[in-house]
Amino acid sequence: MSKQTKLQPGERAFNLLLLLFSLGIFYEAYRISGPGFESINSPGAFPIGLGIILMLSMIVIITGQLRKPKPDTQGALDEARQFLSAHFPLPIVVFSAMAIGYLLLLESLGFIISTLLFLFASMVYLRHGRLVSSAVIAGVSIAIIYILFTLLFQVYLP
Amino acid sequence: MTDSLAYFLMSWTDLSLLLLTAAGTFAGIYIGAIPGLSVTMAVSILISFTFAWDVNDALALMVGVFCGGVYGGSRTAILLNIPGAPSAVATSFDGYPLAQRGEAGQAIGLSTVMSVIGGLIGVLVLASTAPVLSEFALQFAPRDYFLIAVLGLLLVGSLAAESLSRGIFAAALGAVIGLVGMDPVTAEGRFTLGSMQLLGGIHYVVVMIGLFGVAEAFFQLHQLSVKPVRQNVEKIIPSLNLVLKFLPLSIRTSLIGVIVGALPGTGGDIASLFAYDHAKRSVKHPSRPFGKGAYEGLVAPESANNAAVGGAFVPMLTLGMPGDAVTAVMIGALVIHGLNPGPMLMVTTPHIFWFVVGALVLANLFLLIFGLMGIKLFAKVVELPKAILIPLILVLCVVGSYSLNNSMTEVYWMLGFGIAGYFLKIFGFEMGPIILGVILGPLMDNTYRQAMASVGDSTPALLIELVTNPLSIILTLAIVLLLVSNLPLKRMIRGSENG
Amino acid sequence: MLKQVFATLAISAGTLTALSPALADYPERNIEGIIQWGAGGATDNVARSLTPHVEEALGTSIVLTNRSGGTGVIGMNTVLTKPANGYTVLYGAENPQLYPIMGLADFTYADMTPVNVIGQGLVVIAAPTDKDWEDFGDLLEDAQANPGSLRMGGTGAGGLPNTVLAMINAVDELDVRNVTFGGDGPGITAMLGGHIDFMPLSLAAAQEHIASGRLKGLAVLTKEPIEQLPDVPPITQALPEIESYLPWGPFWAVAVRKETPDDIVTTLADAYEQGVANEQFQQFLTKNGGQSLNLRGEEAKQFLSHWQSVTAWALERAGSAKVSPEEVGIPKP
Repeated sequence: MSKQTKLQPGERAFNLLLLLFSLGIFYEAYRISGPGFESINSPGAFPIGLGIILMLSMIVIITGQLRKPKPDTQGALDEARQFLSAHFPLPIVVFSAMAIGYLLLLESLGFIISTLLFLFASMVYLRHGRLVSSAVIAGVSIAIIYILFTLLFQVYLP
Repeated sequence: MTDSLAYFLMSWTDLSLLLLTAAGTFAGIYIGAIPGLSVTMAVSILISFTFAWDVNDALALMVGVFCGGVYGGSRTAILLNIPGAPSAVATSFDGYPLAQRGEAGQAIGLSTVMSVIGGLIGVLVLASTAPVLSEFALQFAPRDYFLIAVLGLLLVGSLAAESLSRGIFAAALGAVIGLVGMDPVTAEGRFTLGSMQLLGGIHYVVVMIGLFGVAEAFFQLHQLSVKPVRQNVEKIIPSLNLVLKFLPLSIRTSLIGVIVGALPGTGGDIASLFAYDHAKRSVKHPSRPFGKGAYEGLVAPESANNAAVGGAFVPMLTLGMPGDAVTAVMIGALVIHGLNPGPMLMVTTPHIFWFVVGALVLANLFLLIFGLMGIKLFAKVVELPKAILIPLILVLCVVGSYSLNNSMTEVYWMLGFGIAGYFLKIFGFEMGPIILGVILGPLMDNTYRQAMASVGDSTPALLIELVTNPLSIILTLAIVLLLVSNLPLKRMIRGSENG
Repeated sequence: MLKQVFATLAISAGTLTALSPALADYPERNIEGIIQWGAGGATDNVARSLTPHVEEALGTSIVLTNRSGGTGVIGMNTVLTKPANGYTVLYGAENPQLYPIMGLADFTYADMTPVNVIGQGLVVIAAPTDKDWEDFGDLLEDAQANPGSLRMGGTGAGGLPNTVLAMINAVDELDVRNVTFGGDGPGITAMLGGHIDFMPLSLAAAQEHIASGRLKGLAVLTKEPIEQLPDVPPITQALPEIESYLPWGPFWAVAVRKETPDDIVTTLADAYEQGVANEQFQQFLTKNGGQSLNLRGEEAKQFLSHWQSVTAWALERAGSAKVSPEEVGIPKP
């Protein structure tokens, strides 16, 4: 992906975010050793080193970007729009929403019902219909998972 | 001698032992293939399960599960790009591209044969040199483990194909993830943000399932309308020529595997990454470029991780010290069965040694049979329409991460890593170095602190030890050589130009 | 295998009826046993060898899960967040008694009802055989002649070696380099390779190595010599002042949430008492360097609070406590 000569839409923003993240890591690492840097053999020594590596490598990446041509976008808003349309087309957004909903329902509905719902709903959505076969596939998969995990491996499912 | 032979053959001639080894191997393959179900977990369940059994029966079953499980991890790595276990991470680098080219069947076939070769070499080393090898392993001081971890981190250079600076960032990120939790020395929280749940750390299998499984599933949603590659299921058993061609590589990487496996503190996960790196450096003309479906990239880690099984038994059977997490649990099993695993085990109960060796060989033969069985069916998994496969992958990831600790916390983390992984992938960060960091970060931190504490926190004293102890000199030299041969400076500049 | 399948079917059936009050016929479904430490460790071994005998007495299955991490905080926290209906029990070690003073968590066994204190482990201070020391006195002398140069194997704050070191430092002076390992196993491995000079260990972990002649015992942490290692002198021989802390050792206990109804606790305590008393389990304990205690009810509570006050104040005296025992309300012994 980095072979592209042009920057991707959103790349600058993302790398800046990562730089901020690295700063956060460095700060957290600094906090581990308490105020000040006590000794070369302290809980915070290695984390601080990691924080520095994270920041340095990100600075190298960002300076490398400066030499590259900017993406063909008009302004930040357009760049955000291009980024979203390239990487978050509708199926991904809907599927992610379903996945999150599935996790949220997992504990209250129980594993079997929520998984059945999730498999059925997402398959019907992704396959544009075909209710019956989706229901059958979902049912069979649940049965296999249930037998494998609960009965054979004694794993408690939520 | 005749006694040893009798014990060696015990699991071959006794029908119930034979069947137990077979059943263990078969079950192991499928346990190993499912991310989140680990061999360690399976073996500890088996302890309660086999509590009342004869110790040989229990061992036969456990040895089978161990061998099958280590191999099984490669299945899902090849078919779905989700390594079933950390030791199969390197297998996915070239195995999954092979499946994408319609060669899933051949890839599984080759990985099976190479796993068995690796496994047998591991047993051979175990049977012939166990006492010597375990004395050798004892010579590794904390500073040497630290050097091994450094050596391991240099693999970033070969795992990060595109841009070195991104690779370094990813590895450091992985190390931070690996360090989350309680500091091993002072028990204070690191990167826990005050959360009690995070005190226990983030399970690295969760990171693996999220980064590989979920992120990959999101990526494949882009190709919903693309017709899945038709799998060529002819000639799934590799020809003798092909096997012979890769035999030298397989032997070399098996030796890497058995030695890394024999060191208490490093196991198949690190061994397979070292092996992959070795293949990449030593094979000048791979069948295809590495990372694009090179057979060599499959042969190396698969030989190494199965050879590491034999290695892990070396300290266990000679010293009663675990070579990895699975042998640690097996030692517990021996204790519960009334044996005293320790340096006296080979003196007081020599039959255990030969029995395990025999069962390992037998399990490897079953591995060949069961591994080659049903490949055609498995290869068809890749042909399933994405719209069916992707929801199933997600459910599998959920079950896998839930079963690690029977808690939803891991599941949320898994999804979090999946989404983060999706973003990182978009912008050219690779997953391999992150996993490398997760595995090696804590090892490096621990061993650094041990090495420092051993010399009374004096840096000069540590540096002197690094260049005066024979073992440390060799490892230090290896690091320097790797650094020089990699010319990272040159790559760094090039990487920053186009990365 | 079939038995397992049926047992699991029973769990699932049980889960369906989980909403009905858990009174009358306890136990009417499987019990989940949460082990505070990882698979293969001492606590895990004790739990897995004891449980089959308890299952027999209780007439139901106990499904064991390891929830390790954070010196056992994670496992204990899990049990504390499950309903107090006796269907989740904790298999723990001694560590929870030190959580408040290590600043790890604000709960201890006092926040649970002990079902059984199973037994106590013996402790031995071991060194590689090629060391010149004959006994612990020699080591102490050597360490005082060369302060801060001997390498002791430790397992981190709150771990057994650190506590033993603190007890010694509470009555004498032992200035050493503390090298932290992930547990007894890695520590012994390093000691066999000569990378550390000595390590206080549980007898269970050390005895095979002492028997093989690769390690030697310098002292056992008792007032009298012990049956398993008759040639190793008690620590009081070299360090009489330590006697007030003895006998001391790590222990294993089973506990449930404090709010659990009394009749359920009684049922469990009966079953565990029978299980611990089982001859096969007793053999296991002795062989692995443990002393059986089999305490329940008030006796168990007394044992727990005594252990806590002795250990916490020893740590405080040696300056290794992060939070003073006084602050968290641990009385002086």
